[in-house]
Amino acid sequence: MSWTTVVGLEIHAQMATQTKMFCACRRGSSTSPNESICPVCVGWPGALPVLQSEAIRCAIRAALCLHCDIQEFSRFDRKNYFYPDLPKGYQISQFYRPYALGGVIPFEREDGSPAELPLVRIHMEEDAGKSVHESDGTSRIDLNRCSSPLLEIVSEPLPMTGKEAASCVRSVRDLLRWVGVCDGDMEKGNLRCDVNVSVMPAESSEYGTRTELKNLNSFVSIERSVLVESARQIEVLTGGGEIRQETRLWDQDREITESMRGKEDSPDYRYFPEPDLPVVQIGSQDVEEQRAALPEMPEIRLSRWLNDYGFPQLETVPLMARRANGDYLEEVIQAGADPSSASNWFRGEILRHLNDRSEKIEDFPVKAAELAALIAAVKEDRLSGGRAKSLLQEALSPAVSLKSLIEDAGSQEQDSDALAEWVDQVMQENPDAIAKIRAGDMKPMGFLMGQIMKLSSGQAHPKKVQELIRSRLS
Amino acid sequence: MGESAGSGVLPAPESTSLEVMAHLKTGKCTTVELIRHYLKYLDTTGRDLGAAVEILSDSALAAAQESDARRASGKPLGCLEGVPFTAKMNIATREGTTDAASGMLRGFVASEDSTAVARLRAEGAILVGKSNCDEFAMGASNESSHHGVVHNPWDRDRVPGGSSGGAAALAGSFGWAFHLGSDTGGSIRQPAAFCGATGMKPTWGRVSRRGLVAFGSSLDQIGPLTRDARDAQLVLSVMEGRDPLDATSQSFNPSETSSMKRIGLVSEGLTEAIAPEIRQRTVEVVEQLKKMGHEVVEVSLGTLSKANACYQVIATAEASSNLARFDGIHTGQRVESEDLEELYSKSRRQGFGAEVRRRIMLGTFVLSSGYIDAYYGKAQQVRSEIRQEMLSALDTVDSLMMPVSPFAPFRIGERVSDPLALYACDILTVTANLAGVPAVAIPCGFDSEGLPIGLQWMGKHGDDHRLLDLATSLQDQDDSWRGLPPGGSQ
Repeated sequence: MSWTTVVGLEIHAQMATQTKMFCACRRGSSTSPNESICPVCVGWPGALPVLQSEAIRCAIRAALCLHCDIQEFSRFDRKNYFYPDLPKGYQISQFYRPYALGGVIPFEREDGSPAELPLVRIHMEEDAGKSVHESDGTSRIDLNRCSSPLLEIVSEPLPMTGKEAASCVRSVRDLLRWVGVCDGDMEKGNLRCDVNVSVMPAESSEYGTRTELKNLNSFVSIERSVLVESARQIEVLTGGGEIRQETRLWDQDREITESMRGKEDSPDYRYFPEPDLPVVQIGSQDVEEQRAALPEMPEIRLSRWLNDYGFPQLETVPLMARRANGDYLEEVIQAGADPSSASNWFRGEILRHLNDRSEKIEDFPVKAAELAALIAAVKEDRLSGGRAKSLLQEALSPAVSLKSLIEDAGSQEQDSDALAEWVDQVMQENPDAIAKIRAGDMKPMGFLMGQIMKLSSGQAHPKKVQELIRSRLS
Repeated sequence: MGESAGSGVLPAPESTSLEVMAHLKTGKCTTVELIRHYLKYLDTTGRDLGAAVEILSDSALAAAQESDARRASGKPLGCLEGVPFTAKMNIATREGTTDAASGMLRGFVASEDSTAVARLRAEGAILVGKSNCDEFAMGASNESSHHGVVHNPWDRDRVPGGSSGGAAALAGSFGWAFHLGSDTGGSIRQPAAFCGATGMKPTWGRVSRRGLVAFGSSLDQIGPLTRDARDAQLVLSVMEGRDPLDATSQSFNPSETSSMKRIGLVSEGLTEAIAPEIRQRTVEVVEQLKKMGHEVVEVSLGTLSKANACYQVIATAEASSNLARFDGIHTGQRVESEDLEELYSKSRRQGFGAEVRRRIMLGTFVLSSGYIDAYYGKAQQVRSEIRQEMLSALDTVDSLMMPVSPFAPFRIGERVSDPLALYACDILTVTANLAGVPAVAIPCGFDSEGLPIGLQWMGKHGDDHRLLDLATSLQDQDDSWRGLPPGGSQ
């Protein structure tokens, strides 16, 4: 019998806000434990939460890019449980009335066809702190993360493979990064995922009993854990057993899932409306403001690039990987560079430079306008490609301006004396080649060119060199 | 007292805060002299009554000196300049501890003043001490404080009411000062009624709750306990209004300033369950109101019979969550233990008193899976019925009146072992909290045993000052509230 795996996702994304969700403490940039805390986020008696508007703006952008139905009225609830890194004894969340319903995650099936995973809801909630368990058995508590704003994105179940599940999460990660809602670094924990897995006979349309895999923190673990868990369930079912609804943990090293707690042991969170916060009202104006503030969305940018710039599909992959890459490229093009050269420069020189240093385009020292000027200089034959590349390298040291380098190089090149010297020297050293060319055999021309380029360290402009040789011979 | 302290002549002991300010203005005594004497009162009678648990002499005298200096140099003065005040133990103040009368918070010092206290100080009021109350404001007799019981100044064998029992005992036994209390189900009004003081529970959201140790957040309000309604008016006007640090706080525009002509007498407040002398007194005050030109009609609040049950569910549910933070890890007394579960349970068992533990368990139960719909969900429905009925009633009349307590102050220890008998204290007060409306309680004479009787008036959301105007006009007609208990001021 063949089986179908059904997957549902719960994605927790930490919003990339400046402050925490209910107080003005800085979020996410602390260097030492318990540095960014205040009476509100540590729940001192008498302190009250106040929703920071930046979190709402961020949440609206997330809902827009996942095509959710944003609710005009939503509300916060308390989720009650005891844990050392939860100082209030409850987490402020949205249980009864989340701010966004519906929506979809676009993703790619294994065969490359486009698909959509429908969403149930997105809600806002505050994060807990961190417990750090030391090897000597003591535990330490760091509340820097406490009350950082989170989005919980909950999907419907859908038949899919582990790879497709990972692709869904990647798609959410890319979109949230794109609109600046979440940094999306799974290894840093600012994007985490719980996966619900069930299996059913291929011909069935009734979903089986699900298990929940908690806190998966990489695409590989999502893909592998779904695969392993569905195989386990199939084995249980074909052996005549039953699947227990339970929470399981993924052991990455041993590639197995292990039971953590059954449904009957699941905590009773005793949700009730948070009396310290008024109803959240998101008006159409708030939504439209955020819609207007959204960057060009990836599918629109991609189709424009393919159609208007004529980029080959394959070339767009590294350019689309991060929105900032494309933004930089667009700036270069806006500054006058032709799209195709700009793309070549970006994918070649710039990406190589960034990858070598594990840097981001935001760290790249050369301004888009300067790069555009360099590309133009090559296009207009004021610079050779090789010379331009070495200028760009020089410009990467912070104190050097590419603009002045281009100007200097341009004037040097116009100094045809240097060029004449290189040409004359190479012609004198290669009388045989000259003789052949004079006899009408143009083959040694390439050899001469190569020698001259070598002598000039790539600075000689090929077209001018050719012209000079011709004029010397005529 | 009226006798001289130092070189100055002090105001009469029953003087209101407004009268004290007028007195200071004449220069008959300095603020330092006034405050010094009030501190002495706190340290003697205040302590004897069990009402004053912390006396902040150093900071109060320093503030008094600054006030005198301001006055002497002609600098602008605040609208509560030089007036002493106390804050209940569950209201955060920079000086002194804020332990909510619980062993769990023993020694807890707040990092900042609550917004209400900060606003009062900014207007020249001088914090002189912290008043006793029931543990975490849970109680109606002030018998559950880890600082000990508070005595009623009119009969020291009797309770002062609760939970703001300390504040009420101070307000009832001596003038000059005003006292901040908090009211979740009657905790300002009921002790005010028991001690012969004026107590005001503002509209929910009118006074910032920032700095108030939460009990039932959707019901809690900070309010004043004073000698009379004029003082309450002034204190409220300083504390009230939107606070950016309390998202549920708001400023109310003075919608109507016209006086409250039509008064609804709540018929359920005159049933057999109410002590005959209190009913009798209520009828007399109705006659008084009629003489003053008010129209009084009987109004039925059918939901009143459900109010206490509804209140017990909602208040304990919220309390069970609000008090979860006292886990021995971050806040609250820690009992060191081998493992985490044990640390939690030991710390909480030892830190909280019996009544608080009972309410936490009750509140946890009513929110539990399988029971939440039958209890918390049902209570929320009833709450909106209560609110609806209250608002419809207030469409036909300007204000609703009824007694504060169904019975006179009882003896210390009389009800302490019977929680239900204690909860019965709240039957007439919780409705205002559930509906979120303002309510003022004023002393309206005494019963045959010489114990104070208090009546309350409720109004629409935001009608706080109109209610206080009504209370003022009544107090202007009958000044029996001025009398202090014999020996109370000594």
